[in-house]
Amino acid sequence: MAFTKVTGKVVSAEVRPGGEVLARRGAMLAYTGQVRFSPVGAGPGGGYGGGMAGALGRAMAGEAVAMMVAQGSGTVHYGYHGHHVTVVDLDGGSTLTVEADRLLAHDAHLSSSVVFLGQQGGLRGAVRGAVTGQGLFTTQLSGRGSVALLSHGGTFPLQVGGGHQIVVDPQAFVASVGDLRVDVAANVSWRDAVGRGSGEAVQLKVSGQGTVYVQASEEKL
Amino acid sequence: MNWRLQGSKVLVVDLNGDAVRAASGSMVAYEGDIAFKSAGTGGGGGLRAALMQRVAGESLNLMECRGRGTLHLAVSAMDVVLVELAGEELRAESEQLLALSEGLRTEVVFAGLQGATSGQGLFTTKVTGHGPLALLSAGGPPIALRVTPQAPLVVDPQAFIASRGRLSQTFVTDVSWRNLAGEGSGEAFSLRFEGDGVVYVQPEERG
Repeated sequence: MAFTKVTGKVVSAEVRPGGEVLARRGAMLAYTGQVRFSPVGAGPGGGYGGGMAGALGRAMAGEAVAMMVAQGSGTVHYGYHGHHVTVVDLDGGSTLTVEADRLLAHDAHLSSSVVFLGQQGGLRGAVRGAVTGQGLFTTQLSGRGSVALLSHGGTFPLQVGGGHQIVVDPQAFVASVGDLRVDVAANVSWRDAVGRGSGEAVQLKVSGQGTVYVQASEEKL
Repeated sequence: MNWRLQGSKVLVVDLNGDAVRAASGSMVAYEGDIAFKSAGTGGGGGLRAALMQRVAGESLNLMECRGRGTLHLAVSAMDVVLVELAGEELRAESEQLLALSEGLRTEVVFAGLQGATSGQGLFTTKVTGHGPLALLSAGGPPIALRVTPQAPLVVDPQAFIASRGRLSQTFVTDVSWRNLAGEGSGEAFSLRFEGDGVVYVQPEERG
């Protein structure tokens, strides 16, 4: 069950028993049918949020964007603060990595987990999160289903693979899908120290195989 | 060097060992081997331009992007307009300049004292030469308005992006007793263009 684009900023989803949708709390714009919305507890028994570890991660990280689940049967329209929405379909074989505050909605049967960047890339990962302002934790989604992402001004996909890497401005980085490695590259020179830098001091180097979604803006949400 | 748009908000430039000057911080992504360094005042203007910018608080902050690869540029999800200059003169609001090709020279020019009160900068950036450049438009795609000697054009300074061609620019003040009585039209200052050329206007007014 996928999200249907209504406009560039609104998506609709069909909710049915067994096909619940998780969304950012407050992102529901309208719905028809018999649909109930309930907050998703991140605690034990919550079931959706990656269990105890996820809850702990979230609590520690400030990766705390409250989610709600839509259950029942009907159609729900989602949108958030007039931001553009990008729909990404996961085929079950790849993992999507996104900041929690850029996640609008996803199929509830996708498994989500909060990943500590320091776990992946060691100290370097932790530094990356701290330096880029991306936070030390990101959300990973995997399984077969659909994800709706938020961006300022819309996204464009860039393919990574075949040995070449792509460099992305940390503020413009929205999400990545596939088997990708993200490193922070600090290109800081003395010019930056005296305020005469190019404004591109910190960059994210993406290598591996997959797709990076980049927004046409340096603004965070 | 190949310039093209991806969607309406992203400028894509293929670099082949050559360089492009772009607004500082406007790179959103690139492929290949590209180095970024500050181009300061925009180059070409020399010490006098540097001084004028310091005095005026002019905010033309450019970086030079040089190397081989594909460069993606965008600012705050604003629409991008590609303009090809063939020797004529373009005057732009400097914060609306996204990128300039190597063949173009920039110079800071005094726009008149009225600039300070109208919300348009005290100084504008004059671009001359041959080659492509990219402008930014806030609030959606810009409109290009033709100016002929028979039909002068008046625009809101806060919506003004750039003018191109042989144009003379004057400020029009429309302060009457109505403004004092609080019943003004809200358009106290206007920019008037006379001559032969094109004026680009954005749908959103700068705050």
